[in-house]
Amino acid sequence: MVRFVLSRLLSLALSLAVASLVIFAVIEVIPGDTASFMLGLNAAPETVAALRAELGLEGGNVARYFAWVSGLVVGDFGTSYTYRVPVSELVTARLWVSLPLTLYALVLSTAIAIPVGVIAASRRGGVADFGIMGATQLGIAVPNFWFAMLLVLVFAINLRWFGAGGFAGWEYGVWGGIKALTLPAVALALPQASILARVMRSSLLEVLGQDYMRTARAKGLSQGQAVRAHGLRNALIPVMTILGLQFSFLLAGAIIIENVFFLPGLGRLIFQGITQRDLIVVESVVMLLVFAVITVTFVVDLAYAAIDPRLRRAK
Amino acid sequence: MLSAEGLSLDIHGQSILRDVSFEVAPGEVFGLVGESGSGKSMTALCAMGLLPRGAVRRGAVRFGGEDLLGAGERRMCDLRGRQMGMIFQEPMTALNPVRTIGDQVAETLLVHGAAGRFEARDVARERLARVGLPEERFGLDRYPHELSGGQRQRVCIALAVALRPRLLIADEPTTALDVTTQAQILDLLRGLVDEEGMALWLITHDLAVVADMADHVAVMRHGRVVEAAATERLFRAGRHEYTQRLLRDSRHVPKRVAAVGPAPVLEVRGAVRDYPAKRLRLLGPRSMFRAVDGVSLDIRAGESVGLVGESGCGKSTLTRAILGLDPLQGGEVRLDGQPVHAGYLPGALRARMQVVFQDPYGSFNPRHRVGRLVAEPFHLVPVAVSGRRQRVAGALQAVGLEPADMDKFIHEFSGGQRQRIAIARAIVIRPKLVILDEAVSALDVSIRAQILDLLADMQQRFGLSYLFISHDLGVVRAITDRVLVMQAGRIVEQGETGRVFEAPQHGYTRQLIAAAPRIPQDWVG
Repeated sequence: MVRFVLSRLLSLALSLAVASLVIFAVIEVIPGDTASFMLGLNAAPETVAALRAELGLEGGNVARYFAWVSGLVVGDFGTSYTYRVPVSELVTARLWVSLPLTLYALVLSTAIAIPVGVIAASRRGGVADFGIMGATQLGIAVPNFWFAMLLVLVFAINLRWFGAGGFAGWEYGVWGGIKALTLPAVALALPQASILARVMRSSLLEVLGQDYMRTARAKGLSQGQAVRAHGLRNALIPVMTILGLQFSFLLAGAIIIENVFFLPGLGRLIFQGITQRDLIVVESVVMLLVFAVITVTFVVDLAYAAIDPRLRRAK
Repeated sequence: MLSAEGLSLDIHGQSILRDVSFEVAPGEVFGLVGESGSGKSMTALCAMGLLPRGAVRRGAVRFGGEDLLGAGERRMCDLRGRQMGMIFQEPMTALNPVRTIGDQVAETLLVHGAAGRFEARDVARERLARVGLPEERFGLDRYPHELSGGQRQRVCIALAVALRPRLLIADEPTTALDVTTQAQILDLLRGLVDEEGMALWLITHDLAVVADMADHVAVMRHGRVVEAAATERLFRAGRHEYTQRLLRDSRHVPKRVAAVGPAPVLEVRGAVRDYPAKRLRLLGPRSMFRAVDGVSLDIRAGESVGLVGESGCGKSTLTRAILGLDPLQGGEVRLDGQPVHAGYLPGALRARMQVVFQDPYGSFNPRHRVGRLVAEPFHLVPVAVSGRRQRVAGALQAVGLEPADMDKFIHEFSGGQRQRIAIARAIVIRPKLVILDEAVSALDVSIRAQILDLLADMQQRFGLSYLFISHDLGVVRAITDRVLVMQAGRIVEQGETGRVFEAPQHGYTRQLIAAAPRIPQDWVG
């Protein structure tokens, strides 16, 4: 197991190194001057030169790459050109919204999807299965921003249980924060839960047909006991894969939902960075997202190994 | 103790069993034989109450006087595992891969509330030791993937007999295993019957296994029991025409006239095949595993050569090298005097060597029609497209099918017919050498007899050479001129088939032959 973790860590470090090189190359090395791009066509040459100096664009590529990476390692992401504050501050503030929102949505979708998938699989071909398959089809098909607006209409405007949008910040109370994130989390969770429930269903159906389920029944386990003792853990393996992908997607892909609910999240930050040509912000946030995706992959790998002993040996 | 009276079974309106009656006495071994699809396994699942949905049972199955068909699911759960244990054919997949073997054996006790957590572990330890997996070498915290097929079947037996049931149902328990492993497992089952007074209901297609093990035998066909008797009486004086045919087919030897030419078709010289093994340390040097270790062999024109050995001995690896699918690390393979190199093989050379694999279900693309499947090898040789259809029709006729079958899809054929199609595909371009990799192992005895006849006939007509790879010694004996015995990557003995079987020289060959179950000579005249 130790060897497995070490080998996964090694591959994590390598992936990060490669990703940082690619991002650096794409944004800084390829033709076109970063400073003049950021300032637009009509900028005076002196302004461009001043910005180049400010951004630290003078000097060789290798030296600049290492300066950038060593900055990243200690949390120095540079200074945003448009906001005039350190990028690390910007990102931290946004992460405090995006990360809880992502986790909230994931917990919701898992909590819904797994029981629903199990019910559908155990009653294959029955009314419950039919209903669940129909509902999840709808959940995937309905655009989540439309569902989000529906939620606002019902729960914020008519029932007044939740606010219609905005996020005051955690310093005004944890409960208020959770309340503000609830509708967006539900809107994000719906399609994810639909996908996850279908994966859970088909994965469990496959497991139910396995020989070891028959062995379990021959031992005297009831169908329900056999599913709980032998089916679930085996069926969770493909579900873990989808969960990992969903986390990465939600972290930065929630931009439409963030806009519907006026949430200051990472998705909006990167969108603003691009529209305002603030490449420092874009570069850092992209690197951060890559870091998040690779870390989640690492965690998913560990989860696989925890579930399946056959994967614990390093290849 | 267990009896079926007029048992019938329909699944989704289709009749599976009709009027099945038999009896298993306490402490005896009851053999149920028949070909695939005869309803053997379904009879057992009927008794266990583990039928698929849509099943309707009629008649009666009594276990110690209690009618099982009338028993509720709760009662059946109580009986399964406690009074009636069951093991299945495929030990590789019969255990949950994510739970330890100790856990899975202890679970039988836990689910029946027969012991507490610690006590159940003690019993699991004792039962695993009884089936030949002592804790010193096979800890309770091992996972199934760390064990071989035979060892996994032992775990399955341990969990089935953990509560000392009165009846153990074994559904083809050794069909997926080697002869030597099969002998050990059968020995273990016999020991359990003797020691624990347990009855054993043994389901198998292999008459020799039944002859070796059972006190009573019932023969099934098309969902009916056609004949039942004490084992020896059934073999000596089985009256039913089907029983006699099964016996005949299981010992079938095709008529062959040896017409071996002097020229070698295939020459293998000092073949060595290494696989990289697991690294012992992270970034440490890779050690190598030698799967084929200096093997040399010749096959002459028209000759039929057998290759036998346990699984993992390197038979398949050697075959892949001969076919030019994998590179060799040493030695060489020559076909018709021309070297065979992995990777690039000229079409004309490849066309002289074809192969038939074991699984008649997995070796065809289900979306192509038979005509296209059989015509596949034509890309190797220049054959005018116009002539191809005729050649395919000829090949299909040669294997006993109709030219009209060309337009059908593969799912329309039975296992035996598919194997005929596989043979048609192999011979359609008139190769010199056909490699038969366990080509009849998955077939029923009657189908197997037909295919063996077909192979003998093809050899005669087209002057084919065969390399016949099998773990079934009886089949190898029936169809080969010479036999090679392979153990751990080496050929340990070779010679004329009759001589090797009559007077084996090497200890391993003797062991293999002794392990193969046999119907006693005087039973069958």
